[in-house]
Amino acid sequence: MVGIMPLDDVTVLDLTHYTAGPFATRILSDYGANVIKIERPETGDPARMLPPFYEDKPGLERSGLFLWLNTNKRSITIDLKKEEGRELVLELVKHSQILVENFSPGTMDALGLSPTKLLEANPKLIITSLSNYGQTGPYRDYIGNELNLYGMGGSMIGAGNIDHEPLKTAGRMVNYHAGYVAALASALGLYTVEERDELGDHFDVSIFETATHSIDMRLNRLMGYQYTGRLAGRQSQASAVGSGVHPCADGYFLITGGARFIPNIIRMIGMDELLDQEEWSTPEGRAHPDRIDEFLPHLIPWTLSRTKEEIRKEAEKHAVLGGPMNTIEDLMNNEQFIDRGYFQEIDHPETGPIKYPGYHFTLHRDEDQPMPDRKRAPLLGEHSEEILQEIGLSKSEIETLKKQSVI
Amino acid sequence: MTANNPTNPDDSLPLKGMRILDITVVWAGPYSTMQLADWGAEVIRIESTKYFAATTRGQMARPPQGVVDGGTSTGMGYAWREAGERPWNRHAIFNAHARNKLSMTVDLTKPEGQEVFERLVEKSDGLIENNLPQSMDKQGIGWERLSKINPKLVMLRMPAFGLGGPYRNYRTWGNHMESISGHPLIRTYPDLSPEYAPAGVPADAAGGIGAALGMLMGRRYVRRTGKGLMIEAPTAENFVPLLGDFVMDYSMNGRLWTQMGNEHWYLAPHNVYRTQGEDAWVTIACWNEDQWKSLCEIMRMKDLANDPRFKDNESRYKNRKELDAIISEWSQDRQASWIMDKLQLEKVPSGIVMNERDATEDRHLHEREFFSSIEHPEVGTHKHVRTPFKSGNHENVGARRAAPTLGEDNEYVYKTVLGYTDQEYADFEEKGHIGTEFDPSIP
Repeated sequence: MVGIMPLDDVTVLDLTHYTAGPFATRILSDYGANVIKIERPETGDPARMLPPFYEDKPGLERSGLFLWLNTNKRSITIDLKKEEGRELVLELVKHSQILVENFSPGTMDALGLSPTKLLEANPKLIITSLSNYGQTGPYRDYIGNELNLYGMGGSMIGAGNIDHEPLKTAGRMVNYHAGYVAALASALGLYTVEERDELGDHFDVSIFETATHSIDMRLNRLMGYQYTGRLAGRQSQASAVGSGVHPCADGYFLITGGARFIPNIIRMIGMDELLDQEEWSTPEGRAHPDRIDEFLPHLIPWTLSRTKEEIRKEAEKHAVLGGPMNTIEDLMNNEQFIDRGYFQEIDHPETGPIKYPGYHFTLHRDEDQPMPDRKRAPLLGEHSEEILQEIGLSKSEIETLKKQSVI
Repeated sequence: MTANNPTNPDDSLPLKGMRILDITVVWAGPYSTMQLADWGAEVIRIESTKYFAATTRGQMARPPQGVVDGGTSTGMGYAWREAGERPWNRHAIFNAHARNKLSMTVDLTKPEGQEVFERLVEKSDGLIENNLPQSMDKQGIGWERLSKINPKLVMLRMPAFGLGGPYRNYRTWGNHMESISGHPLIRTYPDLSPEYAPAGVPADAAGGIGAALGMLMGRRYVRRTGKGLMIEAPTAENFVPLLGDFVMDYSMNGRLWTQMGNEHWYLAPHNVYRTQGEDAWVTIACWNEDQWKSLCEIMRMKDLANDPRFKDNESRYKNRKELDAIISEWSQDRQASWIMDKLQLEKVPSGIVMNERDATEDRHLHEREFFSSIEHPEVGTHKHVRTPFKSGNHENVGARRAAPTLGEDNEYVYKTVLGYTDQEYADFEEKGHIGTEFDPSIP
């Protein structure tokens, strides 16, 4: 049984493209929202032409990036630069509860789709605008990508080794995190409109700020800096006894300690007698920086003679905080993720069935209502007619729009 | 459901009236309840004076000075680098995320403690926890029981890997969930051993945002169906989509990316470059030819644009190490902020790599009122961030009350929320449920 999903009576008008915005509307669609993705005619969302492509052959329907960011959505092509296109959007707005957009600040105004105009068409609409730096402020018109935004907002300065350059997070994580925040903003707006009977709202999500707010514990470090007067710098992971990324028989294994967990690490490698020695017997003694190097000759031979999985099992048994340094292949073959059926196979005319990342969180509804299977990403303009019919346009009106190249 | 919530005295905030029980530890869970508390929910942290959850209100209840000194500004720091008499009220992580939340204490290992807990569940809309599943089992906290006490409850659980499966009771932090998911091996240095891999916890941050969203989804489900809901949000499963590009490339093409550092899949230049000053850096990326040409002009190296090694993106990517060396040579004697502003003026993507001082003093964040100051009774006045996004209807939603000291709101919770009498309150106090200090036996 499909059953009720939290948002299955909510329509989201999706004016997003590339990565952060589509990530936001993808999550809303996961929990039931009817997401109408408006794309520009012929070329569509530019992410359609970004790698990775299936079999490395570029094509509008072959980008892995586009395919996984747009599951469950329906696509309609509309030329926003035409007056008729703009009016079509305003008509769709009347049938929607949420609108998400991630154009550069000022673009929606220039298209005649300012918040004022949108709220005139639907006073209860939630508008979520997602941009690099926000809709106001001195950096408003600065440009930037993942790397620039993480450097400015995140804890890049604290990531890596102090003798080497700071490191970004992998892939497009900062953009995705911001997209996640935009989904939260949209849900909060919906709650406010429904539960408190407020009018619609306009949320301003700045990727720079969502990173500063904490893609990477930045806000704790900002407090830590105020508390101690010290900058985070790039602290090695090997900053306590036993902590660090250690070589093992088939790769590397990460262990993190800190005062409370050091005895567990010592017991894990069978060096219990160390704890009887004076300098190892107290938390203060074990926190002394000299202990870190003294411990390595005990630890490394132990890790080198075991595989990642053997160490993981020992870590679990001894309540040592640790994990193997996996590849994506290791992840997709991991027994836990397989046991839970995490990765979802989705079929698509161009790629055939392939595995996608699973749900962020699982709703345990009635027993006969598992989480639904996701639908594949839409082909460009696949649902144009269907959507226009739903909002009451006649066949001839739709034909006219086609002739005018509006859709 | 709530009345006179001390952290949301006026009626204006969106989530006013939503009461959330908070049994969260460390960071991912607390970050989720932070979102809800900031927007007006009454978030009650259920704590105990008999049990100290490591790394929540500090690493230890009574850390020796060596441990205090070791924790610098990475969020492990103590105010003025002093543990003081009540170290648990002075820790940076807790005091950063717990603003606007309430703290009550109860000993759940005793039957009357469980009665208090049940009364709280009856009177709440949601419960969020991110503990090891077996720890929750031991305290008898599970959906079957809670849904009987309150059939309209939303219980949101954030185990590391899931409530089921072989890793059910595998204890980890966010950085280990990330290493299992493949993140540090992708992000670490191209030319150094993985031993140099950085720590990071985007998994925890995303877990916090996800759980806050999950709670709102849950409440809407209750509103529509009249039924309660259990939501399972394993931090690791929630995180994997943030590596979606890599999952798809492996899934479609069998390709694995490792040790990328700051490199892009295909763009160049795309790196961080040393600038004037100590540990000062700037990022520069180009994704079209105009940006590249402008960069060459600003560097006064117009010839570079015609150099066959760098004539198009493909050539630049192939020769990116040489290109990075040339840009570094230019950047190292210039100020990062000058480079950012100069490049941005010509529409070249660039940004300062901000340290904590840069961020707290940044002009853009200042103009957008990102920080505001509030006073904490035991550690003084500090700057706090506002919510991660701005609302047009509700201006500058941020810190209203400092993080609660341990047990600060016992009286409000026991008497006002749960309706216990003064005599009953005194009894709970005598039986060791109510307190403001951790048991002296806890190190």
